[in-house]
Amino acid sequence: MKGRTWITRPRPAIVLVGAVLLLIVLLSGCSARQGGTYIYDWSIFWNSIFRPSARILNGIWLTVSIAITGQIIGIVLGVFGALGRLAKFRPARYLANFYVWIFRGTPLLVQIMFLYYGLLVTHIYTWPDIVVLGITLPSAIQAGIFALGVNEGAYMTEIVRAGILSVDVGQLEAARSLGMTYPMAMRRIVLPQAARVIVPPLGNEFNNMLKTTSLLVVVAVPELFVTFNQLNGSGPASFHPFELFLACAVWFLLLTTIWSIIQGFIERRLGRGYGGERPPGLFDRLFGTRLRIDEPVIVARGR
Amino acid sequence: MSYVAHQPHDLLEAVGGIPLPEGDVVVEARDVHKYFGRLHVLKGLSMTVKRQEVVVVIGASGSGKTTFIRCINHLEKIQSGRIFVNGHLIGYREENGRLREDRERNIAAQRAEIGMVFQRFNLFPHMTALENIIEAPLRVRGMPEAQAREMGLALLERVGLSVKADVYPGRLSGGQQQRVAIARALAMKPALMLFDEPTSALDPEMIGEVLDVMKELAREGMTMIVVSHEMGFAREVADRVVFVDDGMVLEEGKPDVIFANPQLQRTQAFLSKIL
Repeated sequence: MKGRTWITRPRPAIVLVGAVLLLIVLLSGCSARQGGTYIYDWSIFWNSIFRPSARILNGIWLTVSIAITGQIIGIVLGVFGALGRLAKFRPARYLANFYVWIFRGTPLLVQIMFLYYGLLVTHIYTWPDIVVLGITLPSAIQAGIFALGVNEGAYMTEIVRAGILSVDVGQLEAARSLGMTYPMAMRRIVLPQAARVIVPPLGNEFNNMLKTTSLLVVVAVPELFVTFNQLNGSGPASFHPFELFLACAVWFLLLTTIWSIIQGFIERRLGRGYGGERPPGLFDRLFGTRLRIDEPVIVARGR
Repeated sequence: MSYVAHQPHDLLEAVGGIPLPEGDVVVEARDVHKYFGRLHVLKGLSMTVKRQEVVVVIGASGSGKTTFIRCINHLEKIQSGRIFVNGHLIGYREENGRLREDRERNIAAQRAEIGMVFQRFNLFPHMTALENIIEAPLRVRGMPEAQAREMGLALLERVGLSVKADVYPGRLSGGQQQRVAIARALAMKPALMLFDEPTSALDPEMIGEVLDVMKELAREGMTMIVVSHEMGFAREVADRVVFVDDGMVLEEGKPDVIFANPQLQRTQAFLSKIL
């Protein structure tokens, strides 16, 4: 298809190999300076990655499950928030605007503290420990998921709204002229098309979400970062922040990389019917070799 | 490669015929006024369309002709006047002589009986040609899937697009897209078809294939209101040509009379520009 522009950076392989080489030199250089006060223990690093303890695995599980649940809550709230902001009914619009204003305008850390401790000490709401299928879901995790989800919902509201607005109004008119009600037209016609526009920024959001779970350190949810932080604080690996947080970073990098693969999958699926070349694959995605600039949207309407 | 014109045929038979008319008058618009903000677009437009009549609406850009047919299925609100389709007041309920907008559900049910074809096709790009056609019969009418597919394929065959059933609109030419759009509207068995400049976004070589479908539809007895400047089409199939100017019907009559012998100066001026 004509009219597409691709940004191409030459020789991605050289960039990759160069980066890895640089990293190795850097690390070994650091290790060589053992005359200092810090004694390196690289087995902590390698074990954390290749033979992770149950604590680390639990941390990974918590990070992933909290991020997914939080993101799902965010998407649902985002869809309703966007529909609210675009509604004809004024109270719905005010409510949605107020929601976005509050949760985008205050720090997530403050929201987590307030929703957990703030509500707890005043007895406004105490998060109960829930037992689901034999697994206890501690109150701190619930509050954490809730805070992350509600905060995310405010950002998703804007993303979904932009996605809906990107769909030509003719689509809604065509749907309604066929006898569809507004909710049906939204669900079947407008939102599926908006999804194509929503997914790339949504990918960013979830990538952020995976890392932002670290903020739950303030309510002591032992997710990935918190686990490594605890390992650094006490136990056999204590005071090895260099190796521990390097390993922690590698774990996060692995999670976000897996996500970017999944995201590429979703984008290619949503791209069906739009013709043209296929969206960037895994390699392109990881090394930014082929990022698409979207085709211009043709809008022309009679009166 | 030469294009062999496919002859559209038996369009209404594909959907099991058109619904029995409830009366002789399909559309009756009385003194319709429409504002966009302060802009007075329709200034007391009145029009009657009888069963099986084909009316071509012409008029300068900005005269309100497109706005008017968009009012007929309530894609636009009106500020005063009445529009009836098959005797039912469109979009509003009358309470103590005042109009109140009807409920969404009722309006949707009314629109389901009125087919509309848009200038820019407005096919759903995330659905194949066949999916575009059967979406509303499935979701709005609750038609069983097998029956809907059969009907959709029959319609596609009759507009000459059998081989394009599983193709997405992005891979179809403008003329093909518009033919799918007509089939999509027909799939709802409408009592009335509205065409909003159906050929003005098309390349010249594709206009004929769309007009052929519309001519066939007219021949089969569909009631149609067509906003178009296709004079050949109007001459061949229109029962009546209506000239809209500044939000009102200025002159109307049989196509040969209007085109050959317009009475008013405004009509003459307009026709001299497009003929």
